[in-house]
Amino acid sequence: MAGPDREVAAAIAEQAAQSGIELVASLPDGWIAALIEAFEADARFDHIPVNREESAIGLCSGAFFGGKGSLALMGASGLMTCIYAITKINYTYMVPMTIFITMRGRLGDRAKFHVSNGLYLEPVMQSIDLPYTVIERRDRLGEIRRAVAHARTISRPVVVGFTRDLLYGESP
Amino acid sequence: MAMEMEACFAHLVERWTDQVVVTSAGNASEMWWKLTGETERVFYLEASMSLASLFAAGIAYGIPRANVWAFSGDGAFLMNPGMLTVERRLGLPNLTHFLVDNGVYGATFEVGMADAGETDYAALARACGLRNVFRFGTLGDLRDGMDEVERVNGEAFVVLDVEPLGGALPDPPMDGPECKFRFGRYLERTYGVRIFDARV
Repeated sequence: MAGPDREVAAAIAEQAAQSGIELVASLPDGWIAALIEAFEADARFDHIPVNREESAIGLCSGAFFGGKGSLALMGASGLMTCIYAITKINYTYMVPMTIFITMRGRLGDRAKFHVSNGLYLEPVMQSIDLPYTVIERRDRLGEIRRAVAHARTISRPVVVGFTRDLLYGESP
Repeated sequence: MAMEMEACFAHLVERWTDQVVVTSAGNASEMWWKLTGETERVFYLEASMSLASLFAAGIAYGIPRANVWAFSGDGAFLMNPGMLTVERRLGLPNLTHFLVDNGVYGATFEVGMADAGETDYAALARACGLRNVFRFGTLGDLRDGMDEVERVNGEAFVVLDVEPLGGALPDPPMDGPECKFRFGRYLERTYGVRIFDARV
């Protein structure tokens, strides 16, 4: 079976660079393996693998005060572990951040252990008023720049979710 | 052996020059506030639960000219000791991470911790690959050792063995946004970094 698409990963990284992202803190999900490689190989970014997703939230929140554009990259399950950090740090102190996630559990995801994300990921984001946008096609990757800018505007995190079809190069 | 927390922090305040400070929830924030009353050079990250040092690392990463002191409580640290692997990876020479080890949850009436105060955090840090690891249990050792802490090339990790405080202190009287803007404006003014007007 083919893995995640490197051309799509490069296109996402390009959008991130054009958005002013310099620091990328990541923890993998299989769907974003190529994207993590793209950030690691691209000299425009400092890519830091983290031990858990909350650590990415802490590091990127601090980077905001260092004047650096930053990005937390993780799977859907990872975001589900970050509710405390996001609501306590980013909401309490009004710290903007961009978070890239996988839209696990949707149609086409054959992983049974991601059923919970299909059921609860979006309702959880909605329940904490966490703005998010889902990108399903390559021609919508420009949404990344808008999401980064929107986080700055509202002084809160904004999530960009990528579907499997997009990340595997199977979208229109 | 363990120091009185106030005496320990008072010594660090005496040595405090231009460092930017990030304090974690509970006793560290309260004590730093009590001793300094500082509202600009300190980010009181009271809602953090293990993320104060990585928050500080983000600042140190973004502003290499700034020396950053981060304070973690042992309760917070124990929730995420893997943070040390990230700090090692970052290898920030301008970050000093103080771990305040009193063996109790100071923010919650000093309820005991799972490890009953028995964890050797300095050994843990060395096992994670940090090279500049210090542990001070007396004021004399702290006084003698801080010069070396400030001289090291690379991130320093400093365990401060202190006694439980024995009671709560007042919280810093700032809401999150006030803390954000006071601190951020200080960084902008002092280091010329663009935070609030950055166009990304």
